[in-house]
Amino acid sequence: MNETTAEIAELKKEIATKSDLISISAHQLRTSLTSMKWILKMFIDGDFGELTAEQKNFIGKVYESDERMIRLVNEMLSINHAEDMLETIHPTPTDLVLLMDDVIFDFSSESYKRGIELMFLKPSTQIAFAMADSEKIRVVFQNLIENAIKYSNKGDRVVVTASEKENMIEISVRDTGIGISLEEQERIFGKFFRADNAKKQDVVGSGLGLYTTKRIVEKHNGTIRFESIVNEGTTFFVSLPKA
Amino acid sequence: MAHKILIVEDDSFLQGLATTKLEKDGFSVAAASDSIEADKILQTLTPDVILLDLVLPGVDGFGILKKLRENPATAKTHVIVFSNLSEADDIKKAKDLGATEYMVKSNFTLDELSERITELLK
Repeated sequence: MNETTAEIAELKKEIATKSDLISISAHQLRTSLTSMKWILKMFIDGDFGELTAEQKNFIGKVYESDERMIRLVNEMLSINHAEDMLETIHPTPTDLVLLMDDVIFDFSSESYKRGIELMFLKPSTQIAFAMADSEKIRVVFQNLIENAIKYSNKGDRVVVTASEKENMIEISVRDTGIGISLEEQERIFGKFFRADNAKKQDVVGSGLGLYTTKRIVEKHNGTIRFESIVNEGTTFFVSLPKA
Repeated sequence: MAHKILIVEDDSFLQGLATTKLEKDGFSVAAASDSIEADKILQTLTPDVILLDLVLPGVDGFGILKKLRENPATAKTHVIVFSNLSEADDIKKAKDLGATEYMVKSNFTLDELSERITELLK
């Protein structure tokens, strides 16, 4: 091993340690934030007796701060993940339908909570596998579904499909949410970019999700595109080469 | 008759709050802090839903889930993994072991949890 290789290996080890430390801290932070969230909500809901309007107002403000901290922890975890994601990829023949099934499972309670119907219209017959690094493509699917849910409103619907398109497998994620304005469509994959209506919907966000998503897809020799109309919704299409 | 919930959670404060809230909502709740207590409770109780934390002293939540699925009495019981871990690997492992649902604790209030349980039991 030459000196540079050894240095890179050492650096990678340090990054992995830092990444683990962030995950552990996040877990501990969440435990404290959860107890605050639960108890404050019970006070607000009158589970411990009726509050005066003033008490309710103040407790409501603390609850909002706690919610903001929880979103910051979630964001910190996804940024931590984003860095790992842009390392080298190791594609193997992967069943994208199965992978998407896992991701849908992951979001089923979140979509239920927000009153958004999350549907996966699976192909009726087995489709070809794609060449994909499953860990990284999972993040692509997670980012797209998370955005679709986050930028939709109660009663909206998120529909996912998977199909073969010549020598590619195409996954689509369609929402009926807030959409992306024409002026901002060009910049949507930019690093740290967040659309104005997205910031209004959710103040916390790194602007790294779609940037990371596009980088990962391109590393697979795949493509990502979208169609969007403000207040009508957005559909993202990800195509990956067949195995 | 009230639906029966078993909460497996080692943080006594969170366990207490969840118990209070779910009992208020009409569920009958038993609580365990680790796998040994959970095993003991399961000898006499057949819960409708098990809320399962992952980071626990002794056998962790994954180990408990595996045992629950191997046991004919609980093989089909709804198990909601309720944890503050959210790494993709943890969620996948829980799903592969047969979890009904995976909820990140900090992302839900107790009434949202209670609503979800009610929905599952419909």
